Amino acid sequence: MNWNAFLVGMLPEHFLLAGLVLLIVWSIASDRGRGTAALSLACVAGAALSAAALGLQGFTGTPFSGQLSVTPAASLGKAVALALALPVLLLARDDHGDGGPLYPLLLSSLYGLVLMLGADSFLTLFLGLELMSLPVYVLVLLGDPQRRRATPSAEAALKYIVLGGAATATLLMGVSLLYGQGGTLALSIFARSLASSEPMAVTGAVLVLLAFFLKGAIVPFHTWAPDAYEGASVPITGYMAAIVKAGVLLAALRLFGEATLSLPMINLLALLPLASVVWGNLAAMRQPNLRRMMAYSSISHAGYLYLAFLGAGPGRFQSVLFYLLAYGVMTMLAFAAIPTNADDVQRDQLDGLKGLFHRQPYAALVIGLAMLSLAGIPPLPGFVAKFLIFREVMAAGHTMVAVFGLVGSYLGIYFYLRVIQYMFMSELPAPAEGRSPVRSAAIVASLLCLVPAIAVVVAPGWVMGGF
Amino acid sequence: MDNVLMLQTVLWLPLAGMFALLVVPSGAHDAVRRLSFWTMVLQFVLVAVLYARFDPAAPGLQFATRVPWIVDWGVYFSLGLDGYNVLLVLLTAFLGPIVVAGSFTAITKDVKLFYAMVLLIQFAMMGTFLAQDLFVFYLFWETMLIPMFLLIGIWGGERRIYATLKFVLYTAFGSILMLAAIIYLVLATQQAGGAASFAFADLMRVKLPLDAQLWLFAAFGLSFAIKVPIFPLHTWLPDAHVEAPTTGSVILAGVLLKMGTYGFIKLGFPLFPDATQLFTPTIMVLAVASIVIGAGLALVQDDIKKIIAYSSISHLGYVMLGLVSLNLIGIQGAIVQMVSHGLTAAGLFLMIGMIYERCHTRDLAAYGGLARALPVYSVAFMLLTLASIGLPTTSGFTGEFLVLLGAFNNAWTQHLGGHSFALVLAVLAASGVVLGALYMLRFAAKFLYGEAKVPHAPVADLVLRERLILGAVLVAVFWLGLFPDGAMRKTEPAAREYQLLVRTSRLPAVATAQAGVDALAPAAMPGTKP
Repeated sequence: MNWNAFLVGMLPEHFLLAGLVLLIVWSIASDRGRGTAALSLACVAGAALSAAALGLQGFTGTPFSGQLSVTPAASLGKAVALALALPVLLLARDDHGDGGPLYPLLLSSLYGLVLMLGADSFLTLFLGLELMSLPVYVLVLLGDPQRRRATPSAEAALKYIVLGGAATATLLMGVSLLYGQGGTLALSIFARSLASSEPMAVTGAVLVLLAFFLKGAIVPFHTWAPDAYEGASVPITGYMAAIVKAGVLLAALRLFGEATLSLPMINLLALLPLASVVWGNLAAMRQPNLRRMMAYSSISHAGYLYLAFLGAGPGRFQSVLFYLLAYGVMTMLAFAAIPTNADDVQRDQLDGLKGLFHRQPYAALVIGLAMLSLAGIPPLPGFVAKFLIFREVMAAGHTMVAVFGLVGSYLGIYFYLRVIQYMFMSELPAPAEGRSPVRSAAIVASLLCLVPAIAVVVAPGWVMGGF
Repeated sequence: MDNVLMLQTVLWLPLAGMFALLVVPSGAHDAVRRLSFWTMVLQFVLVAVLYARFDPAAPGLQFATRVPWIVDWGVYFSLGLDGYNVLLVLLTAFLGPIVVAGSFTAITKDVKLFYAMVLLIQFAMMGTFLAQDLFVFYLFWETMLIPMFLLIGIWGGERRIYATLKFVLYTAFGSILMLAAIIYLVLATQQAGGAASFAFADLMRVKLPLDAQLWLFAAFGLSFAIKVPIFPLHTWLPDAHVEAPTTGSVILAGVLLKMGTYGFIKLGFPLFPDATQLFTPTIMVLAVASIVIGAGLALVQDDIKKIIAYSSISHLGYVMLGLVSLNLIGIQGAIVQMVSHGLTAAGLFLMIGMIYERCHTRDLAAYGGLARALPVYSVAFMLLTLASIGLPTTSGFTGEFLVLLGAFNNAWTQHLGGHSFALVLAVLAASGVVLGALYMLRFAAKFLYGEAKVPHAPVADLVLRERLILGAVLVAVFWLGLFPDGAMRKTEPAAREYQLLVRTSRLPAVATAQAGVDALAPAAMPGTKP
């Protein structure tokens, strides 16, 4: 064990673990659990800052040789994912209150994510992936505290855990094939198997890839997402959309490394993501429900993200991380601004957004910006991110894939605009209570997202230079 | 003030005005209106000074800036004034205060958001014309969608949601294909020249094989053709115009449609000269079809806004015809016609808005004999009608006459060479002038003369604000009609450059012969070659 790498390089992990232990102790010591949210927030902020510092300084180290290593790329990925968790915590404090099981679960999920991003072997990767996913099943089950019936959450959590379990099984099957063929659990065996012609190695690689498709909600393995997103509370939906997705994609990046792809792999990596883009966007048009719509939207965005793997090695990391940042920030922004409603089912209806501009102009403008960005309309962050991905795809010679992907993204414009139409263009009788107050936590959370969004709009080159 | 700084100010001023609106309380409608109006006036004054200082003899860009933005990709925030955009920038800035002043009484709902969107669209249009970098151009080109979507969707008529979605979805489809083409073009430039660059000047030098040129031209051309709009891609326009508030119609007809023709003259044609040569007959047919069909449809409309909407399609057909004539007179005529249509259509839409505010109907049959009830209004309306028809001394005459002259010049040379196709088209285009006189005079005759029918009578004639607005438009119309040479001298270098660019083939030198063979015989098997 390398002590310097362990102490300094794993600072983000230490922050989260310390927070987790403190939370458990705290929940035993105090029965009300006040201050839990603040403590979690401080730990995650510390972890995010230390990860960003490690990444920007270019820290490289191997705390556990062959199992876990710290690279600047991994640290930057951790920093983005952890920073996106800050608005989630702020919103969770509003929706779920202080204390309770949510915070330890969220922190341990983040701990798994951070471990996974540093993984060098399939063992650590599996450990991280499961540690990240298992708490999320419970988080979905928590549902919305304001919801009267718990049934939809239970159903959603069950679907999620069954399909998540299928993904785990697929991953393990693939890993065991890879191990049987190569005799090692090192992650690099995946990249080697991608180019190999051994049936066992290829099967193993494909199974691992499919597991990642399932976790990332790629068509046809996407069916869990709409139910899980609908069942969970708003902050947890945001957590799944922005952070769990970021974790899965960044882990996939680490898995692929700089590997070059064989033709069947290229076809697999082009067809399923393209299908996700098209199907996600088409299905989203028909959703009357905001969280389901965002679920289908996230399915199509997962499609864009996996398309980036068609690009050449070095460009992959930059384009995926940039996209995750732009997508995560704007998704969180939308979730942060959704107005509260005593009745969660009502809150979730798209119809509930009608005339929002007249009730809460700030919320309407912020959601509008988020929708336009997700639709990829310039000059918002989503555009530059999409441009970067499709540039990588085209530069690798897959012109038609890029064209189909762009046309697929066109299909998405309609339903994002529909949200804006509801908020700005609907005539509703003026509500009796006039303008409803905006929650302060929501404003802080949205500002946390707006600042990086503005940075991405004004100086995308500078942001990318940091990666 | 330094010229370069002044041009920057011109661009950013509307955006600054938009953010300044944020601090104005939403209830203070007058303050909002005043702030927007004076922002636009200031912008126009600055543009007028720049226009005066624009030197027609100097080649290339003037008052240019080039700030590194996304250096890794070769994106520079690069702006400048040249012969292509100088008149359009002047037109945009001129219509700015008019648009704002024209909506003072018509807009009473969400006033602050309305003016914020007007300022935002002004910013986007200015940026589109001034950009000299393809990435920046695309950014502004698309940014324009958002405020227009809201302008039609919030303050529009009954079917506004349908109209605005149709507008955005039509336009965005063209744009997304253009985006794919932009990425391809820039990567091709990078492969040819080593460094990634989005600068127009660099892209104009890259050599592309014919098949690539055809695909790229199709993508760029589709996007621009939707915006112009060219028949048969025009169906969004009548809906958008009819449902949009007056301001929206004025911006749409005055400036937005010119973004399409500007795209063709600045990018679409000169970037892909060989594809343009191949497509020229098609574009000529479509241009003439737009002229004739647009005019024919305008002749049978009962909705007064639709008449002007279809007439726009017809008038912009002339612009396209002039551009592909590749004849210096025709090109110059096309540029003048863009500005002229911007002025007359904007003026007519403003006048329709004024009468609509008074009478609340757009049905032509409901009106009659306005000349007696509203004398000042009727005089102004008649003058704009005549300008739209293209009566000598008005701007419409200069534009259409030069375009037709150019088209005939071109067609006659071809006719002498044994190809009469172009001549037939030119004759058909000329018939559009007659049709234009028919539909506008039918409109004016029913509207202003005959039995007196004024809904919601008695109505008041134009107030001072409206008179000043229309006076300004009419002065501009006659200025461009009587003294076009000043403006045309400023655009002439650009017209010559455009002519040269489109006439110079840019197929790769080595592969030229091979590409030609491949294009002719796509079925040739690689194995059969020696």
